Order: sequence, then structure tokens, then C-alpha cells
Amino acid sequence: MMMNLLFVCGLCVFFGLALAQIVFVTKASAVVRRFSLWAMLLASILFLAFSLNIVLHNSTFSLNLYELTNDLRFSFLVDRLAAYFMLIISLVSGVACLYSLGYIEHNGTNTGKNFLVAMMSLFIISMLLIVASDNTFSFLFFWEIMSLTSFFMVLFEREKPDTRKSALFYFVMTQMSTVFLMFGFIAIHHATGSFDIGSVTGVSPFFKGAVFLSLFIGFGIKAGIMPFHKWLPYAHSASPSNISALMSGVMIKVAIYGLVRYLVFVLTPDRWWGVMVLIFGTFSAVLGVIYALKEHDIKKLLAYHSIENIGIIVIGIGLYLIFQSYGFTDLATLALIAALFHSLNHALFKSLLFLTTGSVINATGTRNIEKMGGLIKVMPYTGILFLIGAVSIAALPPFNGFVSELMIFQAFLQSFVIGNPFLKIILFLGLSLFALTSALAAACFVKAFGLIFLAAPRSEEARKAKEVSTSMIAAPAILAIGCLLLGVFSFQLFSSQGYTLPIPNLMVIGLVLIITLALVWLFMRLVGNKNSRKSETWGCGIISQNSKMEYTASGFSEPILTIFRPIYRTRKKSERNFNDAGKSIFKDGTAEIQTFKLFEERIYIPVANFVQKLSNIISNLHDVDLDTYILYSFIAVVILILAVGWLI
Amino acid sequence: MSFIIYALLNTAFVMLISPLFVSLIKKVKAYTQGRQGPPLLQTYYMLLKLLKKERVYSDNTSLIMRITPYINIVCVLVASLCVPVVYIPAQIAGFGSIILFLYLLVFAKFFMALAGLDAGSTFGGMGSSREMTVSAVIEPVIIIVFAALGLLLKTTNLYDMFTTSLNSSLFINPSTLLISLSLFIILIVETARIPVDNPETHLELTMIHEAMILEYSGSDLAMMEMSHAVKQTILMAVFINILIPWGLTSAPNALTVSISAVTFIIKGMVLAVAVGFFESMFAKSRLFRLPNLFMLAFFFSFSTILFELLK
Repeated sequence: MMMNLLFVCGLCVFFGLALAQIVFVTKASAVVRRFSLWAMLLASILFLAFSLNIVLHNSTFSLNLYELTNDLRFSFLVDRLAAYFMLIISLVSGVACLYSLGYIEHNGTNTGKNFLVAMMSLFIISMLLIVASDNTFSFLFFWEIMSLTSFFMVLFEREKPDTRKSALFYFVMTQMSTVFLMFGFIAIHHATGSFDIGSVTGVSPFFKGAVFLSLFIGFGIKAGIMPFHKWLPYAHSASPSNISALMSGVMIKVAIYGLVRYLVFVLTPDRWWGVMVLIFGTFSAVLGVIYALKEHDIKKLLAYHSIENIGIIVIGIGLYLIFQSYGFTDLATLALIAALFHSLNHALFKSLLFLTTGSVINATGTRNIEKMGGLIKVMPYTGILFLIGAVSIAALPPFNGFVSELMIFQAFLQSFVIGNPFLKIILFLGLSLFALTSALAAACFVKAFGLIFLAAPRSEEARKAKEVSTSMIAAPAILAIGCLLLGVFSFQLFSSQGYTLPIPNLMVIGLVLIITLALVWLFMRLVGNKNSRKSETWGCGIISQNSKMEYTASGFSEPILTIFRPIYRTRKKSERNFNDAGKSIFKDGTAEIQTFKLFEERIYIPVANFVQKLSNIISNLHDVDLDTYILYSFIAVVILILAVGWLI
Repeated sequence: MSFIIYALLNTAFVMLISPLFVSLIKKVKAYTQGRQGPPLLQTYYMLLKLLKKERVYSDNTSLIMRITPYINIVCVLVASLCVPVVYIPAQIAGFGSIILFLYLLVFAKFFMALAGLDAGSTFGGMGSSREMTVSAVIEPVIIIVFAALGLLLKTTNLYDMFTTSLNSSLFINPSTLLISLSLFIILIVETARIPVDNPETHLELTMIHEAMILEYSGSDLAMMEMSHAVKQTILMAVFINILIPWGLTSAPNALTVSISAVTFIIKGMVLAVAVGFFESMFAKSRLFRLPNLFMLAFFFSFSTILFELLK
């Protein structure tokens, strides 16, 4: 009863606010928006309490909200897995609302801002209801609402041509995802005769494989698994930062929820699925971080890191499938928990990074990290919060990212138990690529933090930047504390839920770190020289160095770019004009380095061209008079009747 | 309680002998060049001298520059608990976990690279960039080496690995010999030695590690130097404990602990001499030639895995 109340209250608040904001979209003022955001924050807390209760007590909750027909209904069933993802969604959403209190007033028109709040409200509730859905109809319905509202939010700065292009790209991709999901769901309905999300049994392996592929592509597009990832960098860099945090922190996790739900509970996986999922995950992880290293647009950099982290989560799911198919339940559980825990961790630290990045972009007015620098001195709180996010995503102990990556390492390292030598070789190769990913992520965040926050400012805007308002510090601070606590108390957390995992007790290790620090500090106080003085950076005797002499982001990632050149496929173009015929007196010239957009040029554009050609052919058929259309209809009806007769 | 005794004993021992190995390598290199070289206690004198000097900070620096020496030494010292040299203690809180050990070292490296960028000097930035590149490219090799060891010794915990290798005669195992080559390359890379990095140059375009700590001075520099020395010792200890574990004990009493300490000093000195000779035989190689060296190490360790799998 209590749970019903929580659920319905939260629902009403979100829908009511969305409705109110849309009705008064031109009239509502900043005060109204503020009220709406506070109410959304409260509703998120209601859902947080609701889902926490289910996760901790391992209970279930069901509610039949509305029935269109017997088959098509909006009904919800929240079990532990669903509640866990609802926990992630409500936590990050609440924090994003808190952040928006300060953030949203900085940009845009009054109407635009009201519309954004309305869309945010619908977006959050649709994600919660997707996860809660107990049938594919309601799942797909809210999935579409999530896609549409997020599309409108990406369009927030619609006056920029770049934004419109990104939003359109995102829209097409997200519709593709829905189409593939619909294929899968209809196929499941065909097999079981109902829209309920329940296990599918007694179907042929071929049929099951087809359903799996369809769902994998559908969820893969939304999650940003390579090669379906291309919308992420576009959409994330175009949308406002609070929305990027929600999209990257939570929305792509909804796709992960779908993947886990269908792979673990609905379909009975075959062994090759695990191998395929693992390979896709590994490539997403490695290529995601490699592409992130070359980005200087901080939001695109973070978007590529989302692809990397989704890759890591998918690696966990792949390992689960492989171990499960060989019957190693302990290892399978470890891998699945690693994937799920990394989903939560990534939601926390990626939202933290996006929110603090939003503050930085607001303060400096640019997304290019080459134009930042020295911000830790003017924005100390934002800087330290970003650092905590960077340390967590780089998987350094004792933060949360470390724990989930350690679990995946453990699962990989123990894969020698599997009998099949070829699979073992694939797993060990996967392990080495996973290690590469993790090390490159550390390199990338040294670059990001170092270039944004350290050294001298590289532009006038960076020099004049100011620390942001309280709500824009408080919101990421909550996430930062979460990152630390989830890491330090991970062992206790899992044992309290009855899982004893082979992970170090980071509380003890954290304690040892602190004691060692105290001892070292004491020693240095007693023995070391305490005096210090200020001076100039040493520059081989050059007096008055300036920020132009600092190391740049391009310079920082240059060695890695050179080593991985076969992956980037850089093209160097140079044109030179000369004053004389003998080409000895140089007049002017241009030089540029382009990175080859492998996925766009080899996959997306060819597919788009094919579709274009096909639609050209079809559009030729359209250029006719009414009689011919009637003929078309007649032919269609005849084919339909024949087909039905043949099928029945 | 017993773990606290172990922690104090092991840490004190490691800190005490680390500078010795640093000086010994320098001494060997000097001999091969026909010089006398510094006295064996030179590194101790240098650390004491640095402790008494004031620190100089650049105007550009922030708090990162100030906290990094502490973070470095703390991470390296806690990582040293994962590598027992006086005796192998009982398992506690997962301290021997390989991943924990490696990531504590990455933690130190992460902040050192940030500190390199902090002063806004080109040298520091160059050092950080190269250090992170090299460490990223060597990481798959390190993991595969430990995966191979895990496959060989059937455990992913350093304490258990050392115990197993202590109780068996792994030295004559061909797989161990293959792994030892990779482990040696890792030791060279992670301690910033020729042919990867040149520990003796200052302000050359070849340097990596020295460039990052160029802005450090006084007692901060003492901490950075000490943590580098300790890191070298514990990486040497991983090599020694797996390949030539004789003398190490898992049943501590006054006698066995002192035997294991003394044997470790002897083995460590032999290894340090070997490192010194190795360094003298090679020239610093180009940065972009390094992946070839790492591929070699990767090949050795991966062939160990193949060998073990097909056996």
C-alpha cells in the first residue's frame, strides 16, 4: 500500500508538472520553473525510496495502471533488477534537477526553458516507466516517449545549424533502435502469444538467434555500442549539460537494462551470443577511449568515454553469458554483478563529469579544452569535484570505478577454468585490450583535467572565469561523495546483500592509506624543511613565459595518436604556392590533418546512400495519377489476400 | 595485529634498502664507463640533504603540485604491502590482489603526470604525455604477464603466487623463463630506465620521468625520489619472489625473517647489478620504437599462455 502510494505520487508529480509547464509554456516565470524543479527533485526522492526498499528487501511490486484491451495495457512489475535500475535513474535525475536549479537560468529564452523543464520531467518519468514495464507494449510506448523527449531536449539550442544536424542524426538513430526492438518484440509475441515479458521457451535456435540479433541491435544503438555509437558524440555535445548528464548517465543505462533483462530472463542464451557480445563490448571499449583521446571538445570527449564504459559493461555481460553457458555460476555472478555495478558507477561519475563540465563551459563560454587552463584557481570546488570524477573513471582505488573494473579483471583472470582453448585465447586477448582501455582512460583524464584546470589560463575567458552557484556545486558534490562511498564500502555492501566476491576490502585499504598518509605527514612535519617560496616556472632562462609555451591538448595526445595511427588513419594535406617557377621562394600555403571517420565513411554513408537510391526508385512510382494509385491499392489487396491464404 | 607487525617491518625494510639499490645501479654503470662512481650511500645522503632544503613552487602551480608527493609516497608504500619481502603474511582484506597492486602504482603515476602539467612548463607536459603513453602501451603486457603467472600458479593473488613458487621448483620451468624476460622488460619500463627513458639526463628531449618532477625541489623532491626508489624495489621484489624465491618464508620467526631479509638484499643486489649492466649495453631508443620492445614482451608472455593452454 505504502509502495503504491510512493509510485503513484511520483508518477502524478512528474506528469502534472510536465502538463503544467507545457500549458503555461510561454507564461511561466523563473519562480515557477524553480518550483517545478524542486517538485521533480522531491518526486525523484520518492522513487529513490521506492526502489531502494525493493532492492534491499528483494521484494516485488506490481501495478496495473490502465488497460486499453486485454493484451495492450500499461502495467508494471518491479523486481530487484528493475528496482536497481530505477534506483540509478532516480538518483541521477534528482541530482540533475538540483543542478538545473542554477544551470537552467543561464541560457535560452523563457519559453525554451519552460519547455526544457517539461521535457525533462517527461523524460525522467518515461525512463522510470520503461524499466518498470511488465509487457513489451508499455515498454515500447515509454521507450518512444523517452526517445522523443530526449530529441526535443537535444534541440534546445535550435538556432545553431550544428545542433539541428546533431538532433536529426540522433532522431534517425533512435528511430532505428525502436524499429529493431519492435521486430524483436513482435517475434517474441509470435512465439509466446502475449506481450508479457516472460521467458520464451521451446523455439528453434535459429529463431532465437534472430530475435537476439534484432534486440541486440535495437538496444545497442541506444546504448552506443560500436558501430552504432555515432549519435552519442553529436547529441551529447549539442544538448545542454544537465541533459547530457541525464542522457549519458541514465538513458543509455536503460538500454543496458533491456539487454540484461532479455538476455538473462527472457531468452535462453546460446554460447555464441556471449562471444559476440564480448567482442562488441571489447571493441566499443578500446575504440571509444582511443577516439576520446583525440577529442578536444570536452563534451565529445566525455561522450566517447560513455561508449568506452558501455563497452566495459557489455564486456561484463558477455563474460556472464560465456561463464553461464559453461556452468561456472560463481564467475558468471561475478561478471554480471560487475556489469550492473559498473552501470551504477558510470551513472554516478559520468553525470558528475558532465555536470562539472557544464559549469566549466558556462564559466568560460567554450567547449574547447585548448582554450581553458588554470581553472582550479578560480573554480576550486568545481575543479576538485571534476578531479574526483576523473579519478573514478580512471579506475583508481579506492573509488567506485576501480571496484567494478577489478571485478571484470578478476573474472577475466580466472577464465582459465574454461576448457575450450580457442575461447581461452579470445578471452586473454580481450583481457589485454581491456587493460589497454583502462590505461588509456587514465591518460585521457590526465589530459582532460590537466588541460582544463592546471597551469596558466590559455585564453582571456579562462582567466576571467568565476566559480558557479551553490546548487551547481552541491549537485555534483552529492555524486562525488557517492563515488567515494560506493568504492570504499563496496565489500561491505556486497556482503550485506549476501554476495561474497573476491574483491579487496577497500575500507581496510582506505584506512591503511589514511594512516600511511598521517605518518608520512607527521614525519615530514618533524624532519623535513617546512619552508617554501614562490618563483617562476623554470624555462631554460626565458624570462616571462606565457601560456602559449604550455603543452597543448594536441601535443599531449600526439604520441598516442602516432602509435595508434593505423586506427585513426590520419590524412595529411598540404598545399604550397611559390613565387617563382623553380619552387624555391615560398609564398603561402595551407596544411591540415584530418582523421578518417571510419564508421561514418565506411558504414553510415554507404547505408544512407543505399536507402537514398531505394527511395528514389520508389518515389518514381509516386509520380502518377489517381487511377494508378487505385491500381496500386488493388494489387496490394490481392497480394495481401493471397499471403493470408497461404499463411493460414 | 600480526598484519600491523608485518606492515611496519616490511615497509621499514623496503624503505631502508631502496636507496641502496639506486646507488648500486649507478655504481655499476659508472664502472662500465670506466669511472669510480658515487659511494653506495650516496642516495641516502642526497635524500637527507633534500629533506633539509626549502621547497620552491612556481606561480602557476595549484594544490595538485603540493599534494602529489604525499599521494605518490603513500600509494607506493601501500603497494609495497602487496609484495612481501620479509615474510609472507596471512591473507587480510585482499591485500595481495594483483589489480590493487597495479592500480595503486597507476594512482601514483596519474598524480605525478598531473603535477607535471601543473607548472605550465613544456618539459613537464612532455614528460606527462610520454609517461602516460608509455604506461598505456605497457599495460596490456603487464596484465598478460600476470595472467600468464595466474595460469601457471593458479591464483591471482600475489601472496599465494609467492607461496606457490616458494614451494615448487619453478626455476627450471620453461614457462617461467619466458615470463621472466617479460617481467624484466616491465621492470625496465616502469622504473624509467634505458632504453625506455634515461634516468640521468636533465633537460634533454629524451627524458620522461625526470621531466615530470623537474619542478620539484627540497623535501617534496625527497618524497618523489624516495617513492621512485621504493617502486623500483617492489618491482624487483615481484621478479625475485617469483623466479628465485629461496630464502623467503611464510612461517615468521626471528631467524627466518632475518634469513629472508638478508637473502633478499643479496638477490636484490645481484638483480641491481644486472640492471646496471643491461642499461650500459643499450642506448636510449626513440619513443616511437618502444612499442616494438613492448610487443616483444607481449609476445613472450602470450606464448607462455599458449604454451600452458596447449600443454
